[in-house]
Amino acid sequence: MAAPSFLLLFPLGLLSAVRSASLMDPGSMTSSDPSVQAPHLTGCKSREQETFRCWWSPGSFQNLTEPGALQIQYWKKNDLTKEWKECPDYSSSVRNECFFNKNNTVIWIKYCVRLHSESQNKTYDTLCFELQDIVHPDPPVALNWTLLNISRSGLNYDIMASWEPPPSADVSVGWLTLVYEVQYRRRNSSHWKVLEHEFGTQQSIYGLQTGEAYEVRVHCAMRAFNNFGEFSDVIFVHVPEIPNKESTFPVTLVLIFGAVGVAILLMLIIFSQQQRLMVILLPPVPAPKIKGIDPALLKKGKLDELNFILSGPGMGALHSYPPDLYQDVPWVEFIELDADEPEPGEKDNQSSDSQRLLGHNNHHTNHGCFHGLSIPDDDSGRASSYDPELPDQETLMLMAALLSCQPNKVEPCLGNCSHSSTPSLDVLEVPCPGLQAPDLPPEGGERHLVQTQLGGPQSWVNMDFYAQVSDVTPTGGVVLSPGQQVGAPENTPTTKKDKKGKMEGGEEESEEEEERRTNKLKFQLLVVAPEAGGYTTESSGRQMSTPDPSSPGEVYHTFPPPSAESKPHQEAYLPATTLLGDYQSPYILPDSPPDVDFQHSLLLNPPSPQRSPTCSPQPPSKPLPVMPIGYLTPDLLGNLSP
Amino acid sequence: MNMMQVMQNVVWAVLLWPCLVSLGVPLECKDEQGSIILCASISKEKLLDRVIQHAELIYRVSEESCTLFEEMFVPFPMRSQRNQAGYTCATKAFPIPGSKSEIQQISDKWLLHSVLILVQSWIEPLVYLQTTLDRYDDAPDTLLKKTKWVSEKLLSLEQGVVVLIRKMLDDDMLTTSYYEQGVAPYALQPEVLESVLRDYTLLSCFKKDAHKMETFLKLLKCRQTDKYSCFLH
Repeated sequence: MAAPSFLLLFPLGLLSAVRSASLMDPGSMTSSDPSVQAPHLTGCKSREQETFRCWWSPGSFQNLTEPGALQIQYWKKNDLTKEWKECPDYSSSVRNECFFNKNNTVIWIKYCVRLHSESQNKTYDTLCFELQDIVHPDPPVALNWTLLNISRSGLNYDIMASWEPPPSADVSVGWLTLVYEVQYRRRNSSHWKVLEHEFGTQQSIYGLQTGEAYEVRVHCAMRAFNNFGEFSDVIFVHVPEIPNKESTFPVTLVLIFGAVGVAILLMLIIFSQQQRLMVILLPPVPAPKIKGIDPALLKKGKLDELNFILSGPGMGALHSYPPDLYQDVPWVEFIELDADEPEPGEKDNQSSDSQRLLGHNNHHTNHGCFHGLSIPDDDSGRASSYDPELPDQETLMLMAALLSCQPNKVEPCLGNCSHSSTPSLDVLEVPCPGLQAPDLPPEGGERHLVQTQLGGPQSWVNMDFYAQVSDVTPTGGVVLSPGQQVGAPENTPTTKKDKKGKMEGGEEESEEEEERRTNKLKFQLLVVAPEAGGYTTESSGRQMSTPDPSSPGEVYHTFPPPSAESKPHQEAYLPATTLLGDYQSPYILPDSPPDVDFQHSLLLNPPSPQRSPTCSPQPPSKPLPVMPIGYLTPDLLGNLSP
Repeated sequence: MNMMQVMQNVVWAVLLWPCLVSLGVPLECKDEQGSIILCASISKEKLLDRVIQHAELIYRVSEESCTLFEEMFVPFPMRSQRNQAGYTCATKAFPIPGSKSEIQQISDKWLLHSVLILVQSWIEPLVYLQTTLDRYDDAPDTLLKKTKWVSEKLLSLEQGVVVLIRKMLDDDMLTTSYYEQGVAPYALQPEVLESVLRDYTLLSCFKKDAHKMETFLKLLKCRQTDKYSCFLH
């Protein structure tokens, strides 16, 4: 639909679009041969909107260069006849120019001018326009400049350029309304700076530099048209420099003040942030500290808090027992024999260590308590994992050799029985399948965790205190017997055991403990906090006993609560023990139900009240304010063995 | 008796002096030219200045609109329409002389009436142009705003010229035209080349006529200040 009209208009538009009304490029014709140029109209211009001129070029055609060969013909829209008229006035002064005077010039009416050869009857070019569109005003006159001001530094200045409209333009009448454009540049520069259009006859130029020579020129155009006329004559602007010595003075002064200010600022920063700078530059040497414990507590003697921390749930982290505390205490001293032997003495009882041990074992027939020393590190984890993992240690191997899954009633005593001086003891949880048989209490899938003490400080390496499981009681208890003497004194503890059938309360035991208490005991006791119906985790309860020189050595065995009916697994875990100074730390009783026996029976034992009383917790009525639950006194050990 | 009468007149004059003053001095009318009917006591010179301002602005905006439209919609070969002999602007009711000398010899009455006729003849086409431009898909907002502004200002220019005629020529017969939305004469699809060229022609013709209006009014102004120099070039 648009194609036909486009085709109609296209040739005409193409022809006329090649040239503009006011300007024409010579040689821009669509002739194929660039060297040969056809005659063409170069342009038509009006200076004041009252007259106009047209120029043409004959091109390279030789036969048309003679005058008169080509004619300019024009035609106006409002002509009555549609004939082309000859140019009214061929200029005599300028070659190939046609001048239209006032009488032949009308505005707002379309003109069409064509280059025609009469002889050949051929039109070479056509141009159509209206007068107001081809107006290029003359340049303004009387361009001048005045100095406005000079900057304080004497480097820059401003001028005001003024001019007058071209005399040919009838501005006063209002026939033309002109807009002016000022341009300026440095003398040797090639780029003109163009300022904004100005409707008035003066323009201010800012930011010129003294000592430099500038050129200024101006031209004008019809308002709302873009046909600028020629430029006016160039004027030169120059302002000599004013030597100003004062200008350098403030600069140096400013620099000096700036440097002083910066220095003062730096000093202030350094002095105000001295502490932090010192920390950054000379970092303090870190002081040794116990992980998880505020060293301030140690200094100020806040034992209660410290003990709480140490025995609290975060106990697992406090594994680093100062070995110094334990080294001097032979393991032997931790074992309490029967009440008849009040003073085991340090080294005197070495010979009877095994006896003691056996006695202890005999006492603890029902609930094969055995000593378990927990490794400072994640005992509970191992206990809870319930994996029959054997720590890779030589002592473990030794213990394994010692242990024999004999059908002795050995009740494993879960928990830490004596563990004061053996921070490096490991707990061996050896499931003894042989022990597991029907003797197990009615907990499904139980496993006896026989925890034995492995390794130990060197002070008691030479002792024959290693206890091996000599027997497992039908009830699930494990009977410990000394390593070298296998199955010897199994009968002796029975009596004791009968005596101590129950470990209820703690009064009996406390009395016994008091008897036995000597100064040599410096161990801690870790109590597995029993909870109703299950073994406690490490967080449940820990008891710590500080080594009390005055207190007799006691062996506290802690019995983890039996794996209750609900729990299929029994976890024997030995909480870590710590040894604190020389104080007595209060025991922290875990929340235990009143049925202590139930809770503190050993793994292998059914939850029967038959638990040896030694395993029941005995709140010490002595210097230890809180009795651990399920600790084992030496006399109770004898009740272990069946 | 005479003294008494004179004294009475003086007293009355003194009492009524504020009223006389207020009646004698014409009120300064500071409203827009659109509301000039309400404020009828503006001086001729100020009114003429305002009318000329309007005409200048209209002309400038129309020229900008024409350029915008040309850049946006007119294909390149069709540009510079001044070279085309094809387009024609709508003929006016009376011929307007073309040469400057002839125009300078036109009387004030003719000038004013010519301006009024021009203004009135363009009110409706501009509204039509606005509706067609709205139908263009990608007509720039500035173009639409400009055409809308021009049509509004044209109305107020018409009112101003009417008042000017009334003041300068004491001709009170003219009334402002009421514009009624008529049916668009052409319902061609927008952006088709024909409609594009037609709209382009419309804008160009309006630009030319706006230039005419401005020139006439400036000539008129020149005559108000200095009659002789304006006539004699």
